[in-house]
Amino acid sequence: MIRTENLTKVYNGKPAVDGLDLEVGEGEIFGFLGPNGAGKSTTILMLTGMIEPTGGRCFVDGIEVADDPLNVKKIIGYLPEDVGFYGNMTGEQNLDYFARFYGMDAKERRERIAELLELVHLDGVTQKAGEYSRGMKQRLGLAQALINDPRVLFLDEPTANLDPEGVREYRELVTRLAGEGKTIFVSSHILSEVREVCRTVGLLAKGRLVAQGTLAEVARALAPSDGDAVRIVVETRERLPAIEDPAIIDIERNGNHAVVRAKADIRDRLAASLFEQGLHVREMRIEEPEIEDVFMAAYRR
Amino acid sequence: MALDRLFNVARKEFSDHITSRRFIIILGLLLVISTISIYDGIENYNNSLEAYTEQLQHMEEFADPYKSWMPQKPSIMYVFISMMSYMTMLGGILAIAIGFDLVSKEKETRSLKSLLSHPVYRDEIINGKALGGIGALGFAMALALAIAVAMLLLFSVVPTVEEFAAILVFGAVSLGFLLAYFAVALTMSTAAKESGNALIYTLVIFFAVSSLLPMFGAMAANAFAGDPPEAPEMGPMPKEVVRVASSNGYSTTSVAQSVVYGGTEDPAWREYEEEMQTYIEKRRLISDISNLLSPQMNYYTVAIAVTNPQLSSMIASPYDTATDEPAGLAGALGRVWMNIAALIVFPSAFFAAAYVKFMRMDIR
Repeated sequence: MIRTENLTKVYNGKPAVDGLDLEVGEGEIFGFLGPNGAGKSTTILMLTGMIEPTGGRCFVDGIEVADDPLNVKKIIGYLPEDVGFYGNMTGEQNLDYFARFYGMDAKERRERIAELLELVHLDGVTQKAGEYSRGMKQRLGLAQALINDPRVLFLDEPTANLDPEGVREYRELVTRLAGEGKTIFVSSHILSEVREVCRTVGLLAKGRLVAQGTLAEVARALAPSDGDAVRIVVETRERLPAIEDPAIIDIERNGNHAVVRAKADIRDRLAASLFEQGLHVREMRIEEPEIEDVFMAAYRR
Repeated sequence: MALDRLFNVARKEFSDHITSRRFIIILGLLLVISTISIYDGIENYNNSLEAYTEQLQHMEEFADPYKSWMPQKPSIMYVFISMMSYMTMLGGILAIAIGFDLVSKEKETRSLKSLLSHPVYRDEIINGKALGGIGALGFAMALALAIAVAMLLLFSVVPTVEEFAAILVFGAVSLGFLLAYFAVALTMSTAAKESGNALIYTLVIFFAVSSLLPMFGAMAANAFAGDPPEAPEMGPMPKEVVRVASSNGYSTTSVAQSVVYGGTEDPAWREYEEEMQTYIEKRRLISDISNLLSPQMNYYTVAIAVTNPQLSSMIASPYDTATDEPAGLAGALGRVWMNIAALIVFPSAFFAAAYVKFMRMDIR
């Protein structure tokens, strides 16, 4: 549904997005991860037809965005980061203004707006958008992104201004929209947010795509390389004695706790050896790198 | 560019303008001042009309020796002359007030990004904004003229068809003047990142073209034309015709001299007269060129041509001897065609600049 080919955007001689190749399938909830300034928002602006790429191409539902931005905008919804509205108009008036660009008649607009305001819990709010809290603006932003019942939804930092209840409702909504077959592209720098809702992720750093796939695939791809070594965490009730095995590379020992680096998974042999020595094993597991740590390391690269 | 999208933007902008507190306050002030000055103008007109009628009666009663010289009937367009001065000030402020944050505010509140995410082209947005602003200024102008005409009718002053046409032309010229500053404000709003800066830049241009430019024009005229020719020392007293014409914010003095000595003209005086004419024309040319860049000066020139064609004719040809023929509206407008063109070119240039800048604007 979304595809980019060598997508590049250069600002003042500096690439903000650098040769991005990305593919997101129909009905997917895709998490676009990356630190601030990685080029996520710039990528979204190109995908939504709001800026033209310096090089490469991008497609939404097979339409090349730079060639036909208007038709792309008709099938997408976009919630910008820190979304803004016309402060002198109510939420309903703001939505009505945007809805008119889709050729909806008055009845259609009225019904759609009422439905969306109810969805984001802003029905009955009569104050002007200029008096909205940031959370209310964010919810109105979600409503304006859905005004045309889009097939593809781009959400840029969607939970940035929401309270915990708002975040929970947002997650439910995204899951429901994906259930309706919509493709959802969520850009965020918060991993915990993305892992809650997204099935696949792409990690962007300094304008380049570092990895793409399921969270587990990306974490594995990004994990620091330790050759074929396996890290085994061992904890016993008693103080650990010297452990000997031809597969062991080295041991970091600390009282009754140790991290064993071995050429292979030797947990069975280790457990037997410790048992023979009369030790009580409290814990023995292969140490997997924390996904947060993996992403943080990738962010810093 | 699709008209429905363009009109959607224009409709919203127009509605924003006419319901904004800023617009309502300035327009209210403009209308109050307009009403007072029209009332004054009507009183003056009635007094002039009375004086004219008395003069006619006097000429008939006493078989006036200057019978061939007919006093000119006052025109109701004199009523509108006073509108010129506050139109250039309050009207200019109104135009700037509705234009200076049209784009910059959208950048500040980030509503532009939301708007651009929907199926609308950038040119439709900027053209719609311009159209909405023009509509609001047109509405203000129409309201001011409607009140003026209503007051004329209230005081039993009924305009003729030609006078009514002149009122409409005056309204169109005034709107053209307002558009000049609206276009400047819109351009600055597109170029500046913040509305505060846009307002400052617009005011700088406003004062530069309204005050500095005519001043520099006069200085340049003095510098380029050099010293005026000196009159011959000996000779008879010249027969001098001095015509002084003045109006609010605009005055001119023209001097025509002819010297007759013994039935033939004095060659020295004739030469002096020719040199003086060349000198004045040279000065006038330089000052006219610089004035063409000033919407105020163009507005004054064209508005005088509409409200007082005779005065306009005297300003345009100071060396012509006074003619008793009344100059028509079309003739008066024909004489100031360059100023009319300048009133069209000035806002067009700024609208074009705003368009180009908006189309290339970075919306990150």
